Amino acid sequence: MSENVLELQNITMKFGGVTALNDVNLVVKKGEILALIGPNGAGKTTVFNVITGVYKPTSGNVVFQGTSIVGKKRFQITKLGIARTFQNIRLFGESSALENVVTGADVHSKTGVIGSIFGTPRSRREEKAALDKALELLDFMGIKKRAGQLGKNLPYGDQRRLEIARALATNPKLLLLDEPAAGFNPAEKVALGETIKKIRDAGYTVLLIEHDMSLIMGISDRVAVLDFGTKIADGSTTEVQNDPRVIEAYLGAPADAS
Amino acid sequence: MADMKSRLNLRDKGAEFWENSPKWRRVLLSVIFIALCYAVPFLNNPLINTPGSDFQSVMFYPVGMYVMMAIGLNIVVGKSGLLDLGYVAFFAIGAYTMAILGTKTSLNFWEILPIGVGLAMLSGVLLGTPTLRLRGDYLAIVTLGFGEIVRIFAVNTDSIGGSRGIAGIPTPPDIFKAKFTILDPKPYYWMLLTFTLLIIWMVRRMAARRPGRAWDAIRQDDDVAQLMGINTRRYKVWAFVLGAAVAGVGGVVYASQILSIVPDQFNLNVSILILACVVFGGIGNLWGVILGAVLLAFIPERIRFLSQPRILVFGMALVLMMNLRPDGILPKKKREHFDPEWHTVEESGEGEIK
Repeated sequence: MSENVLELQNITMKFGGVTALNDVNLVVKKGEILALIGPNGAGKTTVFNVITGVYKPTSGNVVFQGTSIVGKKRFQITKLGIARTFQNIRLFGESSALENVVTGADVHSKTGVIGSIFGTPRSRREEKAALDKALELLDFMGIKKRAGQLGKNLPYGDQRRLEIARALATNPKLLLLDEPAAGFNPAEKVALGETIKKIRDAGYTVLLIEHDMSLIMGISDRVAVLDFGTKIADGSTTEVQNDPRVIEAYLGAPADAS
Repeated sequence: MADMKSRLNLRDKGAEFWENSPKWRRVLLSVIFIALCYAVPFLNNPLINTPGSDFQSVMFYPVGMYVMMAIGLNIVVGKSGLLDLGYVAFFAIGAYTMAILGTKTSLNFWEILPIGVGLAMLSGVLLGTPTLRLRGDYLAIVTLGFGEIVRIFAVNTDSIGGSRGIAGIPTPPDIFKAKFTILDPKPYYWMLLTFTLLIIWMVRRMAARRPGRAWDAIRQDDDVAQLMGINTRRYKVWAFVLGAAVAGVGGVVYASQILSIVPDQFNLNVSILILACVVFGGIGNLWGVILGAVLLAFIPERIRFLSQPRILVFGMALVLMMNLRPDGILPKKKREHFDPEWHTVEESGEGEIK
């Protein structure tokens, strides 16, 4: 039942003398929302970068759906079914919102340059499919009315939503969201939480980096905690909330303990 | 400033007019425009004539040739954002293919054309595959070097004429009544125009579809493009190869018209000038690039009667223009659609995906 979509096995990531991740083990189960939390600089985004192939881990293995993806190219990893958003929004600002999403949906097209020039039946079919999918996703994220506007001109919140739509367009088995609620007001956070739940209920698996505890506790199935590159806790929301090491990482050690 | 705004609006209004036009009106306007292009050699009048050089020749080279090359370079520089300073190399490879095969074998122009284009594309692959991992300035330096290597190789290789080049290149065989001779540039112009229209058609289709989106993504953010599943390496090489193919066509046609070529015709200046056409017209915008190439090729010929101060005047005009319109004459600027029901992906054009 609880099939593992992704497994990080003893991942260590060193940049020169700095150890960003130290022997991290992490399992993402199919159909769950796993929140990855930790103080700033704990190595959360580094985990994302290792998974998506931006960094090659110094040691350890990343297993996605039963096969190792270490050393694969970034676009290959995306094609296999891992998509992500970015902490600092990185849309294609000069392209329209719709084009941003269609660019993601293109992953599944097989038409190359030649087929596009001559407009083969397959090319037309795939263009249509990518477009339909993109419109559907814009609608799903509630930003369909922005379709024709440039990415850079969208309001901040819609840019975040557009990034999620673009990532979903690649039809991922695993969706990585890097602080999707950053800069949102409480009402927007609640709405985003609902959206992420809808995404999970649609069959996606979500790995989420977030700082907002009420959002995390509201939607996560499980929580993993990183501190200084080491995983210090992993479990249900209540387990993690009461874990003394987590409390120490966030609030500091009690005065009498040190 | 206010003046510029109104001009931009005029441009947007033009695009809107085009988008809202029924099909028959688009076809009619296209036909008129294309007919005008074909009629250009006969439109010589005191307003646009080129005292000091033959108008019809000028329309073939440099005007027609620059337009074609600028369209090709725009795929590389404008669409994909790869700064290529050695574009002339592919032009030279096309021209030398025509010259060598034309003088040493019995192949005619139409048989050599695909070979020349193929060789230009092949050299695009050979140059692009290892170097396109470089970005920005580094790529510019490598391509600059490549452009010079090809020229210097031609200078130092005696079997292809060394610095004396190759003379006696055959002209293309006649097509019906159109005779290709050194005396009459008109058929060459029409041939070049036909190729150019074909290339425009191809480029527009690519731009509106998946390759165009991939190039847009690569230009804007290479890393994110990869993370969105785009094989950026492959699309960059494709951009390079397609640009090379266009220059290859140009080279073959050019060599068949000019009858003799020498390596020094393919110097760095040509690369820079074509790049200037792209930047001057509006980098990334097909019609801007075409306009830029027409102007940059035409103005120096138009003012040839000034003789010595000609280049000075030309340079001043360039500086002035780039100050007035720093993004080019017709900058690439996506129009935005605020209509919630708006559904088309591309600027208008193909209307392929609705």
